[in-house]
Amino acid sequence: MRIHTVQRRKLQNVGRFILNIPLMLVILVPLLYTFSISVMPPDEIYGNHLIPTSVKFTNYIQAFTNPYYNFPRMILNSFIVATTVMLGQMVTCSLAAFSFSFLEFKGKKLLFLAVLATMMVPGEVTIIANYLTMMRWGWLDSYRALTFPFLTSAMGVFLLRQYYLTFAKELYEAAKLDGCSNLRFLGSIVVPLSRPALGALGAYVFLNTWNQYMWPLLVTNSRNYRTVQIGISMLYDIDAVSLGLMMAGVVIVIVPSLSIFVFMNKQLINGLMSGAVKG
Amino acid sequence: MAKNFDTRAVRPAIKGHHFWLEPYLFLLPALLVFGMFLYYPFFRTIFLSMFLTNKTGHAKIFVAFTDKDNYLTLFQSKSFWASVAVTFRFVFAVALGGLLIGLTSSLLTEKKYRGSNFTAAVYAMPIAIASAAASMTFKMVLHPTNGLLNNLLGTQINFTGDVRYALASVIGLTIWLTSGINFIFISAGLRNVPAELYDSAAVDGAGYWRRVWSVTIPSISPTLFFQIIINIIGAFQSFSQIKLLTEGGPGDATNVMVWSIYMDAFRNFRFGAAAARSVILFLIVLVITIIQFRFEKRGVNY
Repeated sequence: MRIHTVQRRKLQNVGRFILNIPLMLVILVPLLYTFSISVMPPDEIYGNHLIPTSVKFTNYIQAFTNPYYNFPRMILNSFIVATTVMLGQMVTCSLAAFSFSFLEFKGKKLLFLAVLATMMVPGEVTIIANYLTMMRWGWLDSYRALTFPFLTSAMGVFLLRQYYLTFAKELYEAAKLDGCSNLRFLGSIVVPLSRPALGALGAYVFLNTWNQYMWPLLVTNSRNYRTVQIGISMLYDIDAVSLGLMMAGVVIVIVPSLSIFVFMNKQLINGLMSGAVKG
Repeated sequence: MAKNFDTRAVRPAIKGHHFWLEPYLFLLPALLVFGMFLYYPFFRTIFLSMFLTNKTGHAKIFVAFTDKDNYLTLFQSKSFWASVAVTFRFVFAVALGGLLIGLTSSLLTEKKYRGSNFTAAVYAMPIAIASAAASMTFKMVLHPTNGLLNNLLGTQINFTGDVRYALASVIGLTIWLTSGINFIFISAGLRNVPAELYDSAAVDGAGYWRRVWSVTIPSISPTLFFQIIINIIGAFQSFSQIKLLTEGGPGDATNVMVWSIYMDAFRNFRFGAAAARSVILFLIVLVITIIQFRFEKRGVNY
């Protein structure tokens, strides 16, 4: 009798897995195929092989060493930009969220609404005016252009504020009685206590910035400031024949994104869920 | 004015602890960034949409309410309406397709089994993949002579260059890209369905499909509605896919609104017209957001 149920459970396990295979393939195959092409010698790509007979990393070596692409520089640019934006948002959003949750002042509700209202405006709507601003300031082709517009976000303010509101207000009052300044209270008590929320914000913002395409495409022209997402599409524009090289570029760009997904999965999904909640 | 807003409901005031300007100083960095890169460009866009501009985007001739009005010109152009039609078809297909794939993957992983965590991770994964990277991947999959899809079908179809397949190609890619977020939200919704509902359905002798149709879907209808809105708003903003796969073509086949904004501004240097298109895009997204608020208050439930 017991053996019977164990066997049935096993069968159920296998059955459920088999049901999931088709949809899993839809998601996985494009990526596996990309990797497969990236390690294939050219004659096999053009011979329409799906799986390489031997694994070659020449495309990766070429992507990294060809001075004309300057791929390492683009990777560096993306890291600089994504890190700056991430840290910037952590700072500006912590400060604003602190004010909105611990302090009392005139116009608080109105200002909070003004922050939330920014969520209603898609970035594509303001992109032209922002581009013209960058042009006028002579900021095109610079890290400033890539980072400044993203140094804060309503989503970040909202996410941190929600978290701060769960703190007991006695904590704040006690600190105040001890003569602790607001800034010190924020820095030495609130921030260390809100690591989960900051982690969610950080993972989400870094990934989003790393993945940006339209804005970097518009404001950068020289190879010195191009980011990786622009880089991989340039690999195609420059040489549409070397499909293997192109796919190697894609794999290189996806690895950091996937690492965040794998190692910071919980934070990323928390960030994503609060980011998608509009208003 | 400010006295009308009772913020005490959220947190009782702690008075006398800080200099009156301090709260504003804490807000200053964020508000500066919003001011320079969100509020200002937003109003600047509305302003620009009323002008003809020169090649560096300076407003030159005020044309609002004249026969050269940017909006009027758009409404009279066939290409604009073609673009609107393509956008709505694209958005509709992506919103619905994303929802279906999200619902399917959520239902398939609803019951735990050995390896279901891996399956769930696979379904969620597209949230991490950049749209540009995914576009390059699909460019290879859809490659006319050496791509995977043509290999499997034994054909040589130019998917992204053929009027019949171009829109379907970018729709497919966009659904793939949004499948992760659809899976995450819908499966979270499924977890919140009270078990008693299923139990009573089981007692009534309802089969699996019957249960999905009359218990699961009605219970998660607020989630599904919310997710459709997220999909719609996201789809309206798609750009990389179009830029990298089809460049809006062939003809106007994939000329969605964001692409036409890009073309007007950065290929034709008609910033006024591009600004007018941006305002229209904003209004559409605004209407959808308002619909969402309305329904959320009422609660979509049977």
